[in-house]
Amino acid sequence: MSTVSQATGQHIPPPPARRDTVYMGRLDFLSVVVRLTGVELYKFRRRTMSKVMGTLCVLAILAVFGAFAIGSISTLASPAANFLPASCSPSANPGAIPCPDQTSLPEAAAAAKQAELNNISQPLRLPDSLGVAAQTARDLDLLLVIILAGTIIGGEYSVGTIRLMLTRGPTRTQFFLSKIGAISVCLALGFLGMTLLGIVLGALFNLVTGIAINFSFLTAAWLMHAALYLLASMLGLLVYAMLALCLATLGRATAAGVAGALVWWVLENALGGVFALLGTLIKGQWGNVLQAIPDYFIARNVGALVQNQSHFILLDQPSTLSDLHALLVIAGYLVVFIGLTWWVIQRRDVAN
Amino acid sequence: MDDIAPAYDDRTVISTSRLTKVFGNLVAVNDLHLQVMRGDVFGFLGPNGSGKTTTIRMLLGLIRPTAGRAILFGMDTAYQLPDILQRVGAIVETPVFYPYLSGLDNLRVIAAASGMMSGKANDRRLAEVLEIVELRSYEKLAYRKYSLGMKQRLGIAAALLTDPELVLLDEPTNGLDPAGMIEIRRLIQRLSALGKTIFLSSHILYEVQQVCNRVAILQKGNLMKQGKVSELLRSSEQIEVRLEREDETHYALHLLQQAREQGADWIAGARIEPGPRGWPLLIIGAPGSRSSEINAMLARNGLFAAEIHPREGSLEALFLEVTTAPAPDGTRVGMEALADAPAFQATFQTMPDNNRGGAL
Repeated sequence: MSTVSQATGQHIPPPPARRDTVYMGRLDFLSVVVRLTGVELYKFRRRTMSKVMGTLCVLAILAVFGAFAIGSISTLASPAANFLPASCSPSANPGAIPCPDQTSLPEAAAAAKQAELNNISQPLRLPDSLGVAAQTARDLDLLLVIILAGTIIGGEYSVGTIRLMLTRGPTRTQFFLSKIGAISVCLALGFLGMTLLGIVLGALFNLVTGIAINFSFLTAAWLMHAALYLLASMLGLLVYAMLALCLATLGRATAAGVAGALVWWVLENALGGVFALLGTLIKGQWGNVLQAIPDYFIARNVGALVQNQSHFILLDQPSTLSDLHALLVIAGYLVVFIGLTWWVIQRRDVAN
Repeated sequence: MDDIAPAYDDRTVISTSRLTKVFGNLVAVNDLHLQVMRGDVFGFLGPNGSGKTTTIRMLLGLIRPTAGRAILFGMDTAYQLPDILQRVGAIVETPVFYPYLSGLDNLRVIAAASGMMSGKANDRRLAEVLEIVELRSYEKLAYRKYSLGMKQRLGIAAALLTDPELVLLDEPTNGLDPAGMIEIRRLIQRLSALGKTIFLSSHILYEVQQVCNRVAILQKGNLMKQGKVSELLRSSEQIEVRLEREDETHYALHLLQQAREQGADWIAGARIEPGPRGWPLLIIGAPGSRSSEINAMLARNGLFAAEIHPREGSLEALFLEVTTAPAPDGTRVGMEALADAPAFQATFQTMPDNNRGGAL
């Protein structure tokens, strides 16, 4: 391999052979990024933080589905008579719902109990269990990916290891892309793993209820919307991860990324309500403008994307925002966060 | 300021031209012209804050020069940094690693980041470098539990991992005990014997004098001296003469000044300074090999020295002379200091004419 010097225009002789114990890997752009992403994942796996995060995820999903299971078991264990309308009790108000005929009372009680059990155990079964698991994963993973993204770059600056990594050969762009790659892999594994665990746990707990899962919802269209629902959820997490990455890079510290992203998230939720209220109070053109501002917040647009898919798979109400609007706004945020982070990493001097 | 082509040929490993870094109002490195040749053990000296680490950071692309260029292996750090870094191993200041990983795992991470194959392929190399720095028995210990000396040694292991052609060591003996320092010195000599080029930034002048063949001395970001250690030391050699009477000493000083004016340019200077027990001593800036010549000259004029001793030049004396004396007007710094260096002159002769004009 011969290189042409951009300084002198001369051909640079190839470097002398390294010792036979040194095995170099492929050095093309993509191979380096993939190898560095592997390095980032290895580092993350070796941290106590990854074990704590993993345990938290399992416990959270266990707690949520455990709560639904306990509700179902409690319903199952209750006497059927408890599920009859109040009018069937001896002290019933005569004007209340009429009690069924005394001869069919046991059947009516059993039917009422079954209906209640069916209702309360619904989140344990697909498709509802998908919604519950994904919602739990979204809520918890939001916090975890913010911590992860803040740490993955802030840690390099605060410990000083960025110096070490940047003097080993990878370009700053490769270094940056490997960080995004590692965050994306952790985010996807965490979110999908948690969701899958939730669905499996729900199905297992559902065995106690004895109610069979009705798979009639399972069509190709449903599967496609379910995939989009999961992708939209992960995209939402990625935006906040990129926000944390950006702020940690700007602040050169984990705390800057984590605290900054959390404050942003809290402010968005708080200000959304404030703007809506002000818009209602002020009315007119300015009122409309104020009411429209939250439509450009991250949370609102991520929520819209998720809700619009949830409409197909869980039959929820669709969002008032279109998918295109939400995607454009999210893309805008991603461009700003990723672009700014890249630019800062690229331009910044790595001094003390 | 016109950009100039730095002096470069196939033997040049590092060449900087007008390399400058300004932080706000502080000129950390000013108009630096360095030249390190293949196989050199190059000492980079200077007091704290003189710009040594800033220069190393610029050479490694960690910080961007405000002006000037740094060329390593004929490639410009501004454009071909990844290719350059593939051929360099470096320690910048106190090495820092991932505290939650063991020494071995840290090296694995660095190996992968350096472009080495992941997995077990490089296990032998990892063992080799850990053996070199005598950390094999601590390889599984978490880095946060390492002593400062062990951290420093792990830094050297990391620098050697890819078997680089150029090893940049910024204060590698910081935190090491005397035995550790000696070991690092031996290691540098071993690496040099293997044909590696070593760029050693250090405060420890004795260490530099022991291992380096060429040095550069930096003061407040300016290059004050650069050249072969032997030549610089020779230039700082002195001859100490004691005569019986004070008037004889003054007369001898007068004779030496006269001889210098008449063409004895090997006499760099002469002065009288108080010696032990109050005797005035005549200190002559001249190589020790000229002692007999001086003795003969004094004798021809009826002066007979009671004692005459050559004083060996030391890097310490040279360093102090260069870095502690206030820079007088006309001090030759930057390009001018480089031009004084014989090694530079030799390289400069080989450059094509179009470069020669620009370089000076």
